[in-house]
Amino acid sequence: MTSSRDRFDFMSLSINRRAVLAAAAGFAGIAAFQTGAFARLLQDVSKTGVDPSKWNIETINALAGTITVDTAAELHALVPDTASGKVSLWINGPVESTPQIAKDFYEEFGTIFKTWYPNLELDRQNVDYNDLLDKLRTASAGGAAPDVAKMPILWGVEFAARGDLQEIILEDYGLSKELFWEGALKSVTWEGKYYGIPTNNETMAFIWNKQLFADAGLDPENPPATWADVVAYSKAIKEKTGAFGYGMVAKVNAGNTPFRYMPMVWAYGSSALDEAETAPTMKTTMINNEGGVAALQNMYDMYVTDRSVPTSALTNTQVENQDLFISGQVAMMIAHPSEYVTMQNKLAAAEGDEKALAQTVVDNMSYGLIPEGPVRRSVVFGGSNAHIFTDKAHGGAINAEGAKAVVAALTSPEWALKNNWTDSNPANLRGFETEWMKQRLTDIRFLEVTTSMLPYGVPFPVVPESTEIMNIIIPEMIQNALTETMSVQEAADDAAARITELISQA
Amino acid sequence: MSSTTNASATAKRTYPKRRKPFRPNGWTIAGWAFLILLLIFTIVPMAWMISTSLKTQFASIQQPPDWIPDNPNLKQYRTLLNPNNELGAQFLRYFRNSLWVSTMTTILGLVVAVPAAYAFSRFTFPGKDALFFSVLVRNMFPVVVFLIPLFILMKNLGLIDSQWSLILTYLTFGLPLSIWLLKGFYDNIPPELERAARIDGATRFQAFRLIVMPLSAPGIIATAIYSFIQGWNEYVYARTFLNSEEKMTMPIGLQKFFTENSSNWPGLMAASFIMSVPVVVLFLMLQRYFVQALTEGAVKH
Amino acid sequence: MQLTAESPPNEPRRKRGLLANIAHHWADYVYILPAILVMVLVIGYPIVYTVWLSFHDTPIRTGDHIFNGVDNYREILSSPKFWKTTKNTFVWTIGSTGGAFILGFAAALVLHKQFIGRGVVRAILLIPYVISAVAAAYVWKWMLHSDYGLISGVLKDWGIIDQNLVLLDSKDRVLPTVIVVNIWKEFSFVMIMMIAGLQTVPEQLLRAARVDGAGVWQQFTHVTVPYLKNVILITTLLLFVANLNSFTLVYLMTGGGPANASQLWITDIYNIAFRSLGYGLASAYSVILFLVMLAAGWYYVRILTQGSKRGAS
Repeated sequence: MTSSRDRFDFMSLSINRRAVLAAAAGFAGIAAFQTGAFARLLQDVSKTGVDPSKWNIETINALAGTITVDTAAELHALVPDTASGKVSLWINGPVESTPQIAKDFYEEFGTIFKTWYPNLELDRQNVDYNDLLDKLRTASAGGAAPDVAKMPILWGVEFAARGDLQEIILEDYGLSKELFWEGALKSVTWEGKYYGIPTNNETMAFIWNKQLFADAGLDPENPPATWADVVAYSKAIKEKTGAFGYGMVAKVNAGNTPFRYMPMVWAYGSSALDEAETAPTMKTTMINNEGGVAALQNMYDMYVTDRSVPTSALTNTQVENQDLFISGQVAMMIAHPSEYVTMQNKLAAAEGDEKALAQTVVDNMSYGLIPEGPVRRSVVFGGSNAHIFTDKAHGGAINAEGAKAVVAALTSPEWALKNNWTDSNPANLRGFETEWMKQRLTDIRFLEVTTSMLPYGVPFPVVPESTEIMNIIIPEMIQNALTETMSVQEAADDAAARITELISQA
Repeated sequence: MSSTTNASATAKRTYPKRRKPFRPNGWTIAGWAFLILLLIFTIVPMAWMISTSLKTQFASIQQPPDWIPDNPNLKQYRTLLNPNNELGAQFLRYFRNSLWVSTMTTILGLVVAVPAAYAFSRFTFPGKDALFFSVLVRNMFPVVVFLIPLFILMKNLGLIDSQWSLILTYLTFGLPLSIWLLKGFYDNIPPELERAARIDGATRFQAFRLIVMPLSAPGIIATAIYSFIQGWNEYVYARTFLNSEEKMTMPIGLQKFFTENSSNWPGLMAASFIMSVPVVVLFLMLQRYFVQALTEGAVKH
Repeated sequence: MQLTAESPPNEPRRKRGLLANIAHHWADYVYILPAILVMVLVIGYPIVYTVWLSFHDTPIRTGDHIFNGVDNYREILSSPKFWKTTKNTFVWTIGSTGGAFILGFAAALVLHKQFIGRGVVRAILLIPYVISAVAAAYVWKWMLHSDYGLISGVLKDWGIIDQNLVLLDSKDRVLPTVIVVNIWKEFSFVMIMMIAGLQTVPEQLLRAARVDGAGVWQQFTHVTVPYLKNVILITTLLLFVANLNSFTLVYLMTGGGPANASQLWITDIYNIAFRSLGYGLASAYSVILFLVMLAAGWYYVRILTQGSKRGAS
């Protein structure tokens, strides 16, 4: 595979044979996979391809550490180490408040990539989450997009629809459909083709402060079982302890809001379009059906009637809620897997009396499953995907080998895991079988809980209009109801009308 | 005074000057009260900014809020200004970049505005009024909508991710005020002065440099200050045109503290403070030129 | 007396045709060439592009530009959100401009008289103007926070209120609140301009008025203000245009919420362009905004140039 003659032949082979060879490269991995524990798990087809009853804390722990991977070898089988040139990558990387271990891995990836591909110059830009989407849009509109971008799960579809992303054949990367969650693959599909590869997936869970629960006379060991319980608990906590109950988030234009509201919507049998249904068409909306109105009513009850949630919920993103939680002023909320680490960081930064208080909160923190509704238990299926831009969007020829190497590296079991050590899980399911997964499960408290929510994950509708629906229409619906600009029913109907109009223009 | 009698005038000359007794009238008291309230209104946010920056993250969200932090520490400042740690190095780089962009904007802004103002002042030519008006028009178009066409333009010029794209854009922010200000100055400098110099053998340009420019110095300084501050504080375009971490300016740097997943209020306040210091100092040092410029240049007609 | 670049001082000007006139004055244009070049490039081109785009549909899914006449304009002008946004923008602009002007003018008047420490006071009052809008937005957002803001906390501490003071989260109070923040940010610009202006008011005029029996207020309204007419116009014009375009402060503090209670034209344009990807719509919207400003500006400039034409000798 490494002599020049072979390489030349390799590149001049027709598509089919090349695909076969690439598949062969990852064959070892797939073969191991097929006979491994996973294959058995994937027998039942559900929303995410895994039967929730077979995917739980015990099975996750059992899977970990059952294989070893040689990333360098796997990568070189796909793209030889003589790949050269410059390749640019935009990524939402660590910020000042990111845990140190994540920063360390970020650095390590840069270094190790250089050892894999000494002739490839990786120009990696760490762009802030708030800015990344705008910059990608302006860049690709102006023909200045990077070669590769790692984008949060909802973002890629608009670029694919506009023809800014290159089609990707999984087999070219030694991968196959079975290695990914169904929802993850859906998020990179447009008109039947794949336009990216999932790098990592995560789902959120529910955290609560056991002390506040106990003080309010509630069972400290278990989270509220249903969303109706959440409303009741919230009220009880506010009345009995004076702290806020549920950490509500209702800001417009903030990604956190739909991530924390849609689980309740889906739990009640509603959807923004029909994404939680078994065979979604993405053409009609269910947001104002009985369940949708009930979910909105819950929000209204908590914010307006009971006043049991922070008054600043209308302008809060989850960020503010974290501060309220760590100071014991909010009792429960939906939380991202990384928030435990964030709380620990805040604890470490506290001094004096506050330290004692923060320590109490952290000691009393517990993670559990998100409450269910009358119809189902659900959570937003989150994550990121790696995409390659087209020559047109890039404003020049993409460095094909370089881009392929970067994408392969980002989606390899080892680095899909390490790049998201504290906040997500490898999308490539082989990552769950590696030794590093075992280590994560030991190091990161509650990881098995958040991971066990994965099968309940529902991806946001994979249509370009999703951003507007999720970031604008849904939050505005919530705000209209909570500020009593409209009644709950009116707000839901208004959202339904807007969504219908938006989709009908497609 | 002109109606006093001779006697009292003489009397005044022989006695030592007496201070007029301080008789506060209603207006004076109102004025003082207003001033104090205004000072409080102005200072409180800044004081709170500093107070927060000295707290730990945790303490900063305590209710009821403390004015004086229990455990004041300069940790945030030390982190930001320390070139050895990652954040500090980044922050200092933003600082340098902002400095570069603002300075170049200022210099180039002057290079462009001075001749233009001179022409508007001294010459008559067809379309002069229309052109003058069009300079004012610049400010009237919404900043945000220009983002995409300007981005495409900068890309065609090869300036994306270059600070020159910002410098070019910022030039136009200050042009209207600069040209207007300087024109006012030049209007007040009699052309006879230049003519006299030219009769003495100076070229037009020498006359300009040796006579007009020194007389309009306050105007030039005012223009410089204004351009500098505009460049220093601008956010929207900087965010759009710059990609690389190494090139970014301070307003974007502030964002780093307030992301989708976590916040650091004390750090944000400390960074805001540090970011404000240079422009505040600059403006304070040179504000009297600004006032002088407005007085002489723009306000007199 | 006006000179041209080439004609000797005392030659009588001859009548010329327009083109000949332009040709004759070619050297004058050289002076303004850099300015014009920059303006054309950085302003002219985007304006042309935006106007062109405003007549096109830009569907999300294809990224094409499809000509659709005045459909964009119709869609904007007929949406109920537009009228709410217009009302907000109106209130914001007039409120901010008027408030900043009154506050700044009053400050200038008080600081006009010499007193010990005047320089220091003036310096302190200038600080809000020079700090960045980003910093100001975050500091005020922090102070006005409904759950752990300074203002809410202090008022509760003093027993004036017993529940959190809701400002930025209240659909009724959010707009006046951000206007106050904007006034805080801008008033010292007015102050500086008016200080300069007040220094030019001749003392004799005021004294004459005093002799004639005018009180302080009358001196102000009959002498000072008319004398400063031009400065006042320029200042309020600049302020008006700046406020109509003011984006960063509102966007970072409220994002237009809650429930669009603080949505302005400019934040709406941003959201349509960058959240909903309706570039054609956003362009049409911008053109509308621009025309309004143009009308206001034209009116102002006419008053100004009339004034200076009358004043120039």
